[in-house]
Amino acid sequence: MDIGSASSKALILEKGEVVEHAILPTGAESASSAERVMEMALRQAGLELDDISYIVSTGYGRVIVPFADEEITELSCHARGAHRLFPEARTVLDMGGQDCKAIRCDAQGRLGDFAMNDKCAAGTGRFLELMADVLQIPLNEIGPLSLEATDEVRISNTCAVFAKSEVAALVRQGRDRAEILAGLHQAIATRVHALLRKVNVEPEFVIAGGIGKNPGVVRRVEAKVGLRALLPPEPQITGALGAALFAADRVAEGAERRRREPIA
Amino acid sequence: MATSTSAKKHLATTLLVPELRRKHYAQTVADSKAGKKVAWCSNNIPSEILEAMDITSVYLENYATVCASKRLSSAFCRAGERAGFSQDVCGYARILMGYLLGGDDLPEAPYGGPAKPDILIVNSYSCDSRMGWFTTMARTLDLPLYVLDSPYQPGGGCTDPDNIVYTESQLRGLIAFLEEYTETSFDPTRLRQRLELAAKANDIQVEIYQMRKHVPSPMGAGDAYTAVWPGMYLTGSEECDRFYEQLRAEMRERIENGIGIVPEEKLRLMWSGLPFWYNMSLMNYFEEKGGVVAIENAFFRQLRSLPQQDEDPVRDMALRSTMRRGYAGGIGERIDLTVEVAREYSIDGVILSYNPSCRLFYILQPALKNALDRAGIPTLALECDMADERTYSEGQVKTRLDAFMERLLARRQGDRREIRPS
Repeated sequence: MDIGSASSKALILEKGEVVEHAILPTGAESASSAERVMEMALRQAGLELDDISYIVSTGYGRVIVPFADEEITELSCHARGAHRLFPEARTVLDMGGQDCKAIRCDAQGRLGDFAMNDKCAAGTGRFLELMADVLQIPLNEIGPLSLEATDEVRISNTCAVFAKSEVAALVRQGRDRAEILAGLHQAIATRVHALLRKVNVEPEFVIAGGIGKNPGVVRRVEAKVGLRALLPPEPQITGALGAALFAADRVAEGAERRRREPIA
Repeated sequence: MATSTSAKKHLATTLLVPELRRKHYAQTVADSKAGKKVAWCSNNIPSEILEAMDITSVYLENYATVCASKRLSSAFCRAGERAGFSQDVCGYARILMGYLLGGDDLPEAPYGGPAKPDILIVNSYSCDSRMGWFTTMARTLDLPLYVLDSPYQPGGGCTDPDNIVYTESQLRGLIAFLEEYTETSFDPTRLRQRLELAAKANDIQVEIYQMRKHVPSPMGAGDAYTAVWPGMYLTGSEECDRFYEQLRAEMRERIENGIGIVPEEKLRLMWSGLPFWYNMSLMNYFEEKGGVVAIENAFFRQLRSLPQQDEDPVRDMALRSTMRRGYAGGIGERIDLTVEVAREYSIDGVILSYNPSCRLFYILQPALKNALDRAGIPTLALECDMADERTYSEGQVKTRLDAFMERLLARRQGDRREIRPS
C-alpha cells in the first residue's frame, strides 16, 4: 500500500511477480482511500484480504492503513521498487503529487542518502495541475506542448502561488503558451536538479511518480543531470512495489500477520 | 501540538535543572528589586566578571529557549514579526523583540518575564545577528551597551600575541564599562575565586564528555542539552560545581553497572546544530528502535580543559579564551572537530539541524555533510528552526527520522564498510 497525499496505490505480489495493482485519488479520508484501493486490487485479482500474507504500508498515510502489518517510509520503498525494476538503478527521483524526493540506493536496493522537498509545491504534480488550469490546457498535453516551443519565457517565480499570477499575466499579454510552458517546465527542472545535487547523482537514474509521464519535465531534467532517465512503465506504483517486496521479505523471515490498530 | 515535548530524562541529576533554573530566574528578579544592577547578556559573556562585581546577568538566548520549550514561540515570534523583524532573523531575537514590543495580547512570559535590564552586553564571539539585535534593543530601551569583541582565531587555539592583547583589552574595557554604569568596583581576588570554581566545573564536564564515549552510552543528548545549563549560567559558583560532581558520580555508577539509555543499543547518532527547543522529545524518538543520540556538537567548550595561564585573572581569561576550540576559528575547525568527535564516539549517523534562522549553525551544515560523506558517515538534514515552532511539521520530520533509521539499520544488517578507524 502506498497512501500518498494525492493518490493511493495497492499492489499485490505473488511469488515475486506483480499480480495486480490499483490506483485511486486519495480523498480527505486516507483510511477509506486505503480500503477502497485495496478492495479494487483484490477484486481485480479475484482475492480476499485474508489471502494476503503480509501488508506493508508506505507513503504519507502509512500510519492509518487499518489492515497494514507494518509501516516503512516511502524513501526505502521507492529505492527498493525502482531497484527491482532496474537493478542498475542508483538514483531515484520521485516526483509525487505534493512532494519531491531524491533518493540514492545501493546495489542491493537499500536506501542511501536522500533529500526531500515537502515544503513547497514547485516540482510537484500540484504545481503542474495549477499551471495547466491557468493555461486551460489538459494536463497530459502540457509536457509535449512545452517541447514544441522554440523559445522559452523565463518564469521568475519558483513559488507556485506567485507563478500562477505571473503566468496569468503572461497569458493576458498574449505570450505563446508553448513558450510559457517551456519556461515553467524549465523552472521545475531547475528546482528538481538542486534537490538531486544534494544526494550526488549516480547512474542509473530513474524517474518515478506521476510526473514521470510528462516528457517536458523528463527531457529537461535529463539535460540538467546529464543522464538518460529510466522510466518505469507504471511510474506511480514504484513505492507500492517496494512495500510489497519488503512484505515478501517478512514472509520469508517467517513473520506473522499483525494487523496493527490504526492510529486514532 | 499540545502533547508533552520535553525530552525524557534518563539521569536523576538532570531532573534537578528545571528547579535550579526557576530559582535562578527568580533570584535575578529579586536582585533587581533589591537594587542590584541587571545586565542583559548574549551567550559567552563571562558571567564570572559580572558576578564578581555583584551584577546580575540574564542571558537572553537561554530565556528564549525557555519560551520555546513552554510553547510560546509562535506568539512571541509573530509579535516580533509584526514589529518589523523578518522571519529570517534569529528566532531568539524575534522572541525577545516580540516580548518587548508586542501588545497586551501576548501570553504571560515565563517566570513573569526576564528581570528588567540596566545595561546590555553583547559579544561578537558566536555570530553577527546578536550584534544587530542588541544594538536595536539598546536603542529601543535607551540603555548603555557594551560590545565585547572577540578576534577571529584560526586553527585550533591561537597564540598570536596581538589577539591576546586585544582580547585582554576588550575584557578590561568591559570592566571599565561596568564600573562606570553600575557604580561597582572590580576586585580581582573575587574574580580569581570564581574562575577557580568555574575551571573545576569545566574539568568535571570534560570528564563527563569523555565518559559519553562509552558503549552503551550512559548519557544521551536528551539529558545533555539540559545538563549543560548550570555550566553555562551558574558558572563560578559552588552550586554549579556540586551539580557536576553529582552528575559525574551518577555517570560513573551507570558505567560500572553497564546502564545505557536503551536495553540494546543498536545505533549511535550525533545531533549537529541546535536542537528544536519546543520539541526535545525527538532526542528520545529513536530509543524505541534501539537508537540513541549519543553526542551533540553544539557546546564544545566542555571538550577541553583550560588550565590557569596567568596570575592576573583578566589576562588569564584572555589567554584561556584563545585556547578554546569552537566558533572563533571559522568553519573548517568546527567541521574537523565534528568529524573527529563522530569517530571517537562511534557514531553511525549524524543529524544535521538546518535551523533557518541561525546562520552560525546553518552555514556549517552543507560543508559538514560533505566532510561526513567523505568519512563514510551517513547524514540526515532536518530543516526546522531551533526556536520558532511554526517551522516544525511532525509528519515531515518523522518521515525523515524513520527513513534515516531504516537506512542505518539496513546498513548494519548487510555488508557494511568499516567506518571507524581501528
